[in-house]
Amino acid sequence: MVRHIAGHLAQALLLLIVVVVAIFCLLQLIPGDPVQAMVGDMPVPPALRAALEQRFRLNEPFLDRLFGYLSNVAHGDLGYSMNYRRPVFDILAERFPRTLLLAGIGYAFGILIGIAIGIHSAVTPHRGVDRAWSSLMLIGYAMPTFWVGQLLVLTFSIQLGWLPTQGMGPMISRAEGIDWLIERATYLVLPVATYTILETTRVARFMRASVAETLEQGYIVTARQKGLTRHEVIMGHVVRNSVLPVITVMGYSFGTAMGGAVLLETVFSYPGMGSLMVEAVRARDTQVIVGVVIVVACSVVVMNIIVDLLYAWLDPRIRVAAAAR
Amino acid sequence: MALDLVRRLFATRFGGIGVVILLAVSILSILAPFFASSGPEDIGSPSMLPPSWQHPFGTDSLGRDVRSVLLYAGRSSLTIGFCAAAMAFLIGGTIGALAGYFRGPLAAVLLRVTDLFHTLPAIIIVLFSVSLLGASFWLQVAAVALAIWPIEARLVYGQFITLSEREFVLAARAAGLSTGHLIFREILPNALPTVIVQVALDASTAILIEAGLGFLGLSDPTVPSWGEMLNRGQEFLELAWWMSVFPGMAICIAVLGFNLFADGVTEMFNPRATAAPPKLEG
Repeated sequence: MVRHIAGHLAQALLLLIVVVVAIFCLLQLIPGDPVQAMVGDMPVPPALRAALEQRFRLNEPFLDRLFGYLSNVAHGDLGYSMNYRRPVFDILAERFPRTLLLAGIGYAFGILIGIAIGIHSAVTPHRGVDRAWSSLMLIGYAMPTFWVGQLLVLTFSIQLGWLPTQGMGPMISRAEGIDWLIERATYLVLPVATYTILETTRVARFMRASVAETLEQGYIVTARQKGLTRHEVIMGHVVRNSVLPVITVMGYSFGTAMGGAVLLETVFSYPGMGSLMVEAVRARDTQVIVGVVIVVACSVVVMNIIVDLLYAWLDPRIRVAAAAR
Repeated sequence: MALDLVRRLFATRFGGIGVVILLAVSILSILAPFFASSGPEDIGSPSMLPPSWQHPFGTDSLGRDVRSVLLYAGRSSLTIGFCAAAMAFLIGGTIGALAGYFRGPLAAVLLRVTDLFHTLPAIIIVLFSVSLLGASFWLQVAAVALAIWPIEARLVYGQFITLSEREFVLAARAAGLSTGHLIFREILPNALPTVIVQVALDASTAILIEAGLGFLGLSDPTVPSWGEMLNRGQEFLELAWWMSVFPGMAICIAVLGFNLFADGVTEMFNPRATAAPPKLEG
């Protein structure tokens, strides 16, 4: 088991290093003055230019610079944002947990609801139910995420006035304790709901297909023949076996969820990593863009490891094979 | 032959609807001048009129007829969808085919590169490229293609791996036919149904990515697109819902068209894949 985990970790680390190297090489390809690119659309005083050239070893050979950059990244030094006048690492440390909160809740809800819909869609004997769910999920899938967000804002904030339109909390708040929590939660409702809709449509499609495949297996027929009720077969055999592939797929697509944050946070002006990326692209703040890309790559890789471990733990075949080694 | 394929596609559950939607959206966009009441830049009307008989989708903040802009904008959105998917197919197909046919160290390297791109979410890759290269229309198409090709590569690779072991390919190989013949005449035609499905899905993904890019205000500002219309609409969401609702619907319909078409093709070549599952009675 330890070897199994160690192997995965080593692979993940290698992938991360390759991502950073690839980004570094891409940055070398940009035409123009690297110092200017780092500073953004602002004039560069000669003293700053000299300092930057020395710090990023701009006058040294390519490989020296590459190793210098890798060692900086490994030490958590992701550069300095001229736009925010703060180290990139500090900005990311502030923004990342917010995105994780938003994406995490939406993701969890989406997986649970999606699995339920997928099962209901596949096992209900009435064919109309299946069709209705499938059509609904397909339409949900076809809608751009941010547009769903806009529609929710139109309905629940602008027309009905139930929930705030944007932000993470009110400008001035005197609420404390539980009241503060509730106040914050109202701001999260619409973004989380949008996220949930997005994830639900994806999970439900996978889950339906997976359950349909499981139902064709011989052991389902056997289970029925040995006298288990429909309910027992579904809970005991179908769900267990169908959930595994769905969990894998969803785990590997966590990156897509992080990507979804880019658009969603913009709709709701939620100050997370997605809106940071957009602000950085608009300001041509390359250091921040690279920082966000590295953090997203890291979180995807970490999520993949978690899924691998979860899978190994859930699937006895892998658990036993790994233990036997 | 072609007619027969079309008939079979229409016989599937959703394939026919998909084709009709795609044709309708394409024709409406290509023949935009016939269906629009004014040009895409025509700002003659009062601004932000709600939907009425004269302006069925209302007018926008600049006083343009939303329906007319929508029709013209469809051109660039669909172009991005088709072209980015075609480019992704060319890049991903080539890499997948090379890796799947020749295997060995070449395949290992190519698959690692594919994984690398696959690690990052598409929209992040597109934003990264746009921030580096700028946002002219064709660079944007290339950026979207760059983000979606890994899925295509994975798929073609898988197809080549399975198909090159099949008897008819082994027979052709034993008969001493050239590598080119094996790849283009034996394996590729048999991989085509699966690949077509993925290209259609890629086109819908490309349209969604373009919509996101336009919405963020990062698409080519000189070319009207559905995403760009949504970007303009966001500012006036409280005053003019029609500026956001209709472009979003257009995107939704086009994406739905591609997906239904893909579902139809899958069902046509592999009826078991999408047929209703056996139900547990009792």
